[in-house]
Amino acid sequence: MLFVVFAVLPFTLAFGYALLYSFGIIGVVNEGFTLSFWKEVFTSGTLGTSFLYSGIIAAVGVFLSVSLALWVVLKFKEGFNNKYLSFIIYMPLAVPGIVSAFFTYQLFAQSGFFARLSYQLNWIETAQQFPDLVNDNWAIGIIITFISLLTPFFILLYLNIYKDERIEELSQLSRALGANKKQIALKVSLPIMLKKSWVLIVLYFIFLLGAYEVPLILGQESPQMLSVLILRELKQFDLTKTSEGYVMAVVYTVVIMSATIFIFSRKKLRNNAY
Amino acid sequence: MMQRFLFFLLFAITLFLMSCENPKESRNWKQASWQEIEQQANGTTVNFMMWQGSPIVNDYINNYVKPTLKEKHNITLNISSGQGPEIVQLMMGEKQAGSEKGQVDMVWINGETFFQLRKIEGLWGPFTEKLPNSQYIDFNNPFIGIDFQQEINGMECPWGINQFAFVYDSIKTPAPPKTLAELETFVKVNPGTFTISNDFSGMTLLKCYMAELSGSPDGLDGEFDQQKYDTLSTQLWEYINRNRKYFWKEGQTFPKEHSKMDQMFSSGEILLTYGFSEGGIEEKVLQGLFPESTKGYAWKNGTILNSNYLGITYNATNKAGAMQVINFLISPEAQLKRAEPSGMNANPVLDISKLPTEYKDKFEKITARQYGPSLDELSENAIKEPAPEYMLNIYEDFRTYVIEK
Repeated sequence: MLFVVFAVLPFTLAFGYALLYSFGIIGVVNEGFTLSFWKEVFTSGTLGTSFLYSGIIAAVGVFLSVSLALWVVLKFKEGFNNKYLSFIIYMPLAVPGIVSAFFTYQLFAQSGFFARLSYQLNWIETAQQFPDLVNDNWAIGIIITFISLLTPFFILLYLNIYKDERIEELSQLSRALGANKKQIALKVSLPIMLKKSWVLIVLYFIFLLGAYEVPLILGQESPQMLSVLILRELKQFDLTKTSEGYVMAVVYTVVIMSATIFIFSRKKLRNNAY
Repeated sequence: MMQRFLFFLLFAITLFLMSCENPKESRNWKQASWQEIEQQANGTTVNFMMWQGSPIVNDYINNYVKPTLKEKHNITLNISSGQGPEIVQLMMGEKQAGSEKGQVDMVWINGETFFQLRKIEGLWGPFTEKLPNSQYIDFNNPFIGIDFQQEINGMECPWGINQFAFVYDSIKTPAPPKTLAELETFVKVNPGTFTISNDFSGMTLLKCYMAELSGSPDGLDGEFDQQKYDTLSTQLWEYINRNRKYFWKEGQTFPKEHSKMDQMFSSGEILLTYGFSEGGIEEKVLQGLFPESTKGYAWKNGTILNSNYLGITYNATNKAGAMQVINFLISPEAQLKRAEPSGMNANPVLDISKLPTEYKDKFEKITARQYGPSLDELSENAIKEPAPEYMLNIYEDFRTYVIEK
């Protein structure tokens, strides 16, 4: 009941509002029902490009974070008993995304810390020679920030899985049965850990898909990630086109909701996942 | 326990909804005398939504305007943060909800927002004639009485006036470009040191360039002319696309905001920046952000000179208070304080010749700027804001024909 009042109700109302707005039914400067905003959004292709662009960035970000976390856990699991090391690894968990994005900017911009260091070391002669790592074409800055935000979380998760699923014991057993290190990692540890965490991996993918502050600070002007694009459309100077932003918001919500419902409706996986 | 909580929640919601109903029929302030307005404003609170991005503006408001208003008129001034798009969004939301009691009584806006607010009828007025201190303002000055080619008709009150200017470091760049032809040479010699921010400032820059392409400073005056726009904008996009490979990041992307350009200018990543308030040089040099060798200038064909304004929202609950506050902000006293070189250092919007003698002297005594150019120095190259449709189209087309290309 409380959940309905605080979560579902406001969401449904907001969604209904956006839907009405997208068809021009409400809105101070709109003139009544029209499909023109929907047509405009679907013919321009900006939304499609942005979906693809965001999808790739989110996928690369999640993939690299998960790989890094798995590697760290399997390689250095003993080290986490060390207080200081674990502190350093977990510290980024407390850093908000927007702060992390600023860090990345300060470190990797062409006038940032590393560029200055390279200049002092005489590796480069002008700021422009430093590789383009923020506001760049390949979204490197965004991906670096995503990795720094996600990896600590996944490390924490995998350490728990490692303990709870008694992977240590299973590995010893496999070794006793004659498996080598590589076989243990690929055929025992990894499959268990991935299977136990895949729902979270997908959820984090969706989370990154809708990230706002990080691509706002580190992204380029075109193509833009979804949230940045939608907010730009909603706040644009030409008030007669505000509704196009609502169209995008509606499409985005529908896609994400369907994906989420699809994932959680697969009963079989619900029981044994984290 | 849970049920009790829910009951309480429903009760609170009902109470809230009830309080929204039956707005007190506010009186018709347009007929009231100034004395009545002053009386009504006494002891009230005024909610002012303004851009809070500048420490010196905040300092002026918090440490001078607020205490003085309290002392002289017994008015409490509440500041909330928000500029152009936020104000428009808020007003649109309140209009949509049919809210008769606005959260905000007065707003600080420029021509872009004025155009949008007029479109959604988000402003209350006309009111400027009511203000005793408006006698010191020359509304016949086209840079004051006309905002984006739209007559203000008393719907907003001018507060400040300033010109768009280019900013450069006189040590690194002894001879900065002053025409499009010179800029073309400049970016080829200094690749990666110039760019166009994809915001209000950048679009203002493009309007200045478009005026140059039209062949004269007043080439864009008058109502929006689609044909003229099409011809000039085609030339402009062609010019930019031809030279963008010499821009910052080889013209593959453009900074989202002008503030980022200021940062890049101070770190030496770019050599040329620009902005309103005559480039904002004085403030940034004194803050230590820009080097002391920073100088400002206007484009040869001219840069845009415009005013910024104070408006009262259509659903302001304290219109009398808002008028009293605005009247104070345009008083010779408040404008003088605002002009102090150690403070905001802003150009007074008042016509000095209309002022009482004591203030005339005081305004004339205010020392000149140490670093930035004065409005007088640039005024020769001042051009008017073109019709808002130019901005509208430039925003859209800069994205289509430049950024996304």
